[in-house]
Amino acid sequence: MSLITQFLSEIRKFLKNRKGNELRAWLLVEPPLPDQYHKLADELKKGYRNSASLTKLVENSLPEDDNVSEDEGTAWPGFVSFMKDYFEYWRDVDFDDLLGAHQLLTGLTNSCTTALNNPTYGSIMLQTSISLCASLSKLSMTLNKRPDLTRNLQTVDAGEEEQKSIVETTAEIIQKVFTACLTDRSSQRHEQPKGKKTGVYIFANVTLKLLFAARKTHLAKQLFTNITAKAPPLSFYPAAQRVTFLYYLGRFHFINNHFCRAAQCLQEAYLETPRRFESHRWLVLTYLIPCNLLLGRIPSPQLLQRPEAQSLAPIYMPFAEAMRTGNFLRLQAALDANEKWLFSRGIFLALLYRLRPLVWRAFSRRTFLLTYIAPTEADSRKAATLELSHLLTTATFVQKRLEGYLPAHPGRKPRQPHINSMFLKAVSNRTAGLDEHSTLAPPPGGPKILRPNEGLIWGNMPVTEDHIENFVASLVAQGLLHGFIAHTQGRFAIIGAKQKGAVAAGWPPPAEILATGLKEGEDVPGWVKRV
Amino acid sequence: MASTSTPKPDEKSSTPADSKPEQAQNTKTAGALEEDDEFEDFPVEDWPAEETEAANQQGNNASGGTAADHLWEESWDDDDTSDDFSAQLREELKKVDAAKRR
Repeated sequence: MSLITQFLSEIRKFLKNRKGNELRAWLLVEPPLPDQYHKLADELKKGYRNSASLTKLVENSLPEDDNVSEDEGTAWPGFVSFMKDYFEYWRDVDFDDLLGAHQLLTGLTNSCTTALNNPTYGSIMLQTSISLCASLSKLSMTLNKRPDLTRNLQTVDAGEEEQKSIVETTAEIIQKVFTACLTDRSSQRHEQPKGKKTGVYIFANVTLKLLFAARKTHLAKQLFTNITAKAPPLSFYPAAQRVTFLYYLGRFHFINNHFCRAAQCLQEAYLETPRRFESHRWLVLTYLIPCNLLLGRIPSPQLLQRPEAQSLAPIYMPFAEAMRTGNFLRLQAALDANEKWLFSRGIFLALLYRLRPLVWRAFSRRTFLLTYIAPTEADSRKAATLELSHLLTTATFVQKRLEGYLPAHPGRKPRQPHINSMFLKAVSNRTAGLDEHSTLAPPPGGPKILRPNEGLIWGNMPVTEDHIENFVASLVAQGLLHGFIAHTQGRFAIIGAKQKGAVAAGWPPPAEILATGLKEGEDVPGWVKRV
Repeated sequence: MASTSTPKPDEKSSTPADSKPEQAQNTKTAGALEEDDEFEDFPVEDWPAEETEAANQQGNNASGGTAADHLWEESWDDDDTSDDFSAQLREELKKVDAAKRR
């Protein structure tokens, strides 16, 4: 008996006894392989160049049995067709030609999905699907890093539609398997998943991995929508699947600026990952820390001491310092120091734009601390206010510092001879005198030309009264400042200063406003907590 | 498929010993920078809840806290105005104020 016939006769037994795991163990598609598979490939190459004869052989070896009892199985047309494709795969595959292998494996996976979709017997293919999708995903990720190989493909395939990358195409194929599992009716949504339903999050995770690698994260929306609508609760599934899923869901919400939702997912992923998986915890924390910063929460000393936080602390703590002190120069320095690192991870822009309100908050607070004179008993009825003109002065100062203006030495008398002031004098002689209205002197080469995002408002645009009122009004509207603007007086008036003290009343802790959803455990789209 | 290697993040960015922010980008090659870090498959499929911090969450809930509470600070405002930045702002406010009165 030929090896092919023996192989098929074993496969038939597995179908009959519904042995999904054995089926998977036999239907290998990638090295390392027992020698038998190479012999099988040789036999196929020699005797079955003709696909029609191969089809006939498979059909004859895997007949559809009648009178199958309930706990038994049999072949079905989709499976027969899959087996024919499987043999063709072994006949034609050449692992030195990665692109060709990928195309063959793609075809085989599609064929496997069709077989899986059979409502009666399909579920026996679940384990094989998992293993095929894992191989296909791995191969696609390898090719994703080899533009030298895929470049040719792109020129050959360029049609009218937008060119899809290999990874994206693979994601689409695996998403079909995901859908097959999601719509399986062998168990109810609220009960322990059975049959194909057990594969829901496995395939969701493989799809997500590919979409993130292809930087097509917007395509994940449909997947999350489908999960929200139909999937069983995440808690029914094993820990590795839960953590992986929550990592991607958290990153998805982060990308979409839903930091509260993102923080919920990432925090759960972090807490559910045992300490021994340090690199996973590191990766989760890479996104969880900026997420929390944006919600007004900074990492505690306990967190910073953990091994996975060691390399992240020097990146993120300068941002926390900028938030605490209202120092825009520190914010800019923190952004500059790791711009590429943060940008490539999709974190840079969020910190650049979304952290600003928090730094403005602390900056206005700092200006208040420096200018506010507490009322004496005689005028204790007077409201606690921040003069907006003071904030304009400090903001203008910061803008100039960002442009490279040089500060006079604080704490020294202005006229005291000092190397710095002598230097400034030398400079000022050239630039027609020091500004009488500022402690700052222009830099020797003239003010630095700022990129739009490097200035306080927009590049080198000077800060005006209107900008200041605008920012304060916006902070009040967001709840980050508690009070109102007395426009005609040019002041921000604090509400509730008498009860709490002016600073505490005017500048409540941001997390109280920004992180409420996180603390209350609000619903997160895509995360099925209960049905 | 599951990878058993758990490379230390330090290899990718900075080490505690040279923990300057610049290190994170300097030690990476330009190519690696553009890549998304891959969330590796876990080497095991499942683990008992006792191995995780989340397991403590239940117990702590009774006292009103969660396992994550000690990881983050929410009251961190800095009232110290003796630093350089504050001193510079103070000088500037003084000077501008004086110029206005003139």
